[in-house]
Amino acid sequence: MFFLDLFRSFKFALQSLWRNFWLTVVTVIIVTLAMASVSFLLIFNLVANNVVDTVKAKSEIYIDLTEGAKQAQVEFLVAELNKLEDIREVIYISPAQTLERFKGEHANDEVIMASLDSLSSNPFTGSLKISVKDIAKFDELLTELSRDEYGDILEINNSEFFEAKDLLNVISDYSKKVEQFGFGVSLFFIIISIIVVFNTIQMGIYSHREEIGIMKLVGASNWFVRSPFIIESIMYSVFSVLVMVLIFYPLAIYIQPHVDNFLGEYSLNLIDSVSNNFLWVFGLEIGIAILITVISSMFATRRYLDD
Amino acid sequence: MITIKNITKKYSNYTALEDISLHIPSGEFVSLVGQSGTGKTTLVKLIIAEERPTSGEIIIGGWNITKIKSYEIPYLRRQIGVIFQDFKLLPKKTVYENVAFALESCGVAVQIVTKTVPQVLKIVGLENKLNHYPWQLSGGEKQRVAIARALVHKPKLLIADEPTGNLDSINTKEIIDLLLKINEIGTTVLLVSHNRDVVNGLRRRVITVENGKVISDQAKGRYVL
Repeated sequence: MFFLDLFRSFKFALQSLWRNFWLTVVTVIIVTLAMASVSFLLIFNLVANNVVDTVKAKSEIYIDLTEGAKQAQVEFLVAELNKLEDIREVIYISPAQTLERFKGEHANDEVIMASLDSLSSNPFTGSLKISVKDIAKFDELLTELSRDEYGDILEINNSEFFEAKDLLNVISDYSKKVEQFGFGVSLFFIIISIIVVFNTIQMGIYSHREEIGIMKLVGASNWFVRSPFIIESIMYSVFSVLVMVLIFYPLAIYIQPHVDNFLGEYSLNLIDSVSNNFLWVFGLEIGIAILITVISSMFATRRYLDD
Repeated sequence: MITIKNITKKYSNYTALEDISLHIPSGEFVSLVGQSGTGKTTLVKLIIAEERPTSGEIIIGGWNITKIKSYEIPYLRRQIGVIFQDFKLLPKKTVYENVAFALESCGVAVQIVTKTVPQVLKIVGLENKLNHYPWQLSGGEKQRVAIARALVHKPKLLIADEPTGNLDSINTKEIIDLLLKINEIGTTVLLVSHNRDVVNGLRRRVITVENGKVISDQAKGRYVL
């Protein structure tokens, strides 16, 4: 009995989708547009987060070692710091490497290069290159390293140290703001999309209100009347996400060069990013679409079933 | 078949039916007449549990439906066939599908549906229009589809609420003849009408309602208003 009713509900739903062809087309287009607007924002967030993550990952700080720092002390400190959970990596940079890096950074500055050449010895001490897993932890770490006991090894009182610390704090603040903005705008669009989809489904079922009354008059139970509409809603969601998939890939191929051009080294491969998470991304979208459309159709049919 | 005891139906400060009592035995053909707005359709709505009485009792086939629960209403309606003036056909379903829907909604097996529906449509003379949609049919044909749908689950009671209201005289006669034929095979028929000629031509029991009250109940009556 259950499977027979289910089979009939599917049959009625498919008949209704086909026989109300234009209503189906319009509904699928609206649900697709709603899903597309949310997807666009999710992709925007993905790209923005990628930029922030890349900046964070590249955020590193060089702390100069004092002239008196002994090799054993430095090696011990590097080993200890690398054990910390929040540290991504601590690398010891020798004076020669520091000189090379400095030369590389100022290769176009003739005055600096001339000054360096005039010196008879390497003016740099060694340094530590520190990168952390979470940029927010930098502040904590640098405060820790500012302790007096490291004073013999680390040059923590020079302005470079504090400038780097300030810069990292600014990056950290901006990344939080970007995330909050992305979340806020996404939430706004999600709410708008829910309202649009909800009303579209309500309007679709409104056009069937007389049929619902007739079905009840001939003895159909509420569930028998309601189930084809619910199945229809699920199909709208599935079609919409399929259309989304069909639109996404050509669109991604088209906009990828523009994204690369705009973001440069911080760019993200859109197709790879979505394809690697295909089931998660489109599964989530289909799940959300089904949830919204089914709840909408439950509400809409209940209104006319109660009449 | 139907026993109505002291039924009153009030809508806020308007009384549609007042203290109506009547009994319709099984197999009878009864006409319920009265001018528009006298409460005939309200009585039909009470019988099919589309509305609930303010007071009184309605018993159909031994089932007291006065305080029927919502989930029981479909079971009641599957035992009563109802046809309306405006046919109430499902516009996006074919003739066959409209009739089959009444069986399908009761969970009747596919084989029985495919066997029964063409038979019933043959009885009402629409065996050649199974795949037509309602918009492709004349008024008389639409009403015959509605009759087929009402009959398909072999109800003991058929209620026809102004079934000829939208039909010309030829179609009216055909529909009334069909209702008489249905009555002959043992189905109780309650015909709600304000068509004087139809009611007078039947020479069956006539219950007359005026201002929400039964003013006459004659075994072989005529339209008296």
